[in-house]
Amino acid sequence: MVAVEICSSAFVNLGRSQARALGYENLPIAVVPHPFGTVDRQIVRQFAEKCACDIVALVCLPPVTETLEDYQPIIEDVQGAAELTIEHAPNLMIAFNRLCRDRFWSDGLPVMPTTREAVSAMLAQTKRPPQQVVARLAPGFGVATVECIAINAVLAGCDPEYMPILLAAVEAMATQRFNLQSIQSTTNPAAVWLIVNGPIVERLGINGKFNCLGEGVWANATLGRALRLILRNVSGALPGEMDRATQGQPAKYSFCCAENEGESPWEPLHVERGFSSEQSTVTVVGAEGTMNMCTLVKEADELIRVIGSTFRHPTSNEYVHGAEPWLVLCPEHADILHEAGYTKSEVKRRLWEASKMQASELSKEDMSRLQSSRTTELGVIGADTLLPISHHYEDISIIVAGGSGAHSVYVPCFGNTRSVTVAIASDEN
Amino acid sequence: MIEVSTVLVPTAPKQIFVEKKQLTLESLRGRVIGFIDNAKPNFKDLVDDLEQILIAKYGARKVIKLRKRAASIPAPTAYIDQLAGACDLVITGSGD
Repeated sequence: MVAVEICSSAFVNLGRSQARALGYENLPIAVVPHPFGTVDRQIVRQFAEKCACDIVALVCLPPVTETLEDYQPIIEDVQGAAELTIEHAPNLMIAFNRLCRDRFWSDGLPVMPTTREAVSAMLAQTKRPPQQVVARLAPGFGVATVECIAINAVLAGCDPEYMPILLAAVEAMATQRFNLQSIQSTTNPAAVWLIVNGPIVERLGINGKFNCLGEGVWANATLGRALRLILRNVSGALPGEMDRATQGQPAKYSFCCAENEGESPWEPLHVERGFSSEQSTVTVVGAEGTMNMCTLVKEADELIRVIGSTFRHPTSNEYVHGAEPWLVLCPEHADILHEAGYTKSEVKRRLWEASKMQASELSKEDMSRLQSSRTTELGVIGADTLLPISHHYEDISIIVAGGSGAHSVYVPCFGNTRSVTVAIASDEN
Repeated sequence: MIEVSTVLVPTAPKQIFVEKKQLTLESLRGRVIGFIDNAKPNFKDLVDDLEQILIAKYGARKVIKLRKRAASIPAPTAYIDQLAGACDLVITGSGD
């Protein structure tokens, strides 16, 4: 069977790079001008005429004999990390950072030299062999070996003790339900948010209290940054190339926090997801951004009403697809809800009802996306249809984090992604 | 004084793999062509137009059109199985 891809011109690099990464260097690509989705009907017809000619020219060529080899899986032989020798004076930092800048290995901020000694210290934190493949990461499908993860952890400035968290996070990101392919290559600003639970939080000093989504704590900053560097250097998502984010967001530098389990009135996230409270876990979330919700409300149902109202916005990807919205409740807001007798599940149920949005809020074009995406789930969708933000109320996810103050945070997710929680291996922490 | 240091490269290690060959068709005459519509705006119209042109002008026998629920999800396995079993050429879409 012959295959052809039609790409709008802005996405040709992505299509070409992904085809190459999967072993289809010569995948035929027919190009239509970008932006394609906004042109009028008669222009589409003109594009179709040209596109049909291109398809014929791309596939109707002298015959190529199909051999058994064509149907064999890709044979991988993963090699160790390459070494580079740098001449420098007077110190390595300047020369190494110049190298990283030239080769696009940095996020734009200074990085730490990936010396053999520093990488070995990182590798000493795991029993896994350096060449073990942890995952292949979309969109470039680069191989994330243990060694490669360690190198990027050094680059980001991580302490060696952080290594087990990164190994678990990479495994989590590669899970199909997380949908890293789309998170990495979308025009949406999606960033990967790390949430750490369990005893490792206190041991490594991961912040889940004051300013936990902000700067200032080494573990939060470097863990989130290491993950981003892995997504850049290993999975190959360079901005404007395979990372097609229109603007991106600051969280793409680093986005990592702990849950403030000590001040939560409920079971923490990982216990809710079936892990023991003594197990440390990491959760990955495809997050679209953060929206602060400042309210001095004292009554539980009123708090749910205003949060639900904040969820609703007509440009939301979550209502179009039915998603997994995240709520970071500050301890004060969590206490109001708990003192009203609400379990976490009850908060979700009430919030799911309170956040329903009338479909007529969406633009005509987005209504079309909505109908394509959710008709099977919701039945016929008209202007009066009340849209739930997620398929089921339990899809709303809640953690308690932050210090004192009446600020909770709404974290909309990318849409077609589901968070994944993975245990941090006990022999590695 | 010039010093020399060795550092490790942070990009994915090289992989050696067997490259898939590009298959071809002599012509589209009598062929069955499948489309996976990525559900992006206007792609359905493009597919409808291509169906008409590929049959009328290039002699394709039949076009099978399957539409994904949304662009940001993989095509269901059932779609892939259906097209793989029935088509000589499969065309997908990417981009906005």
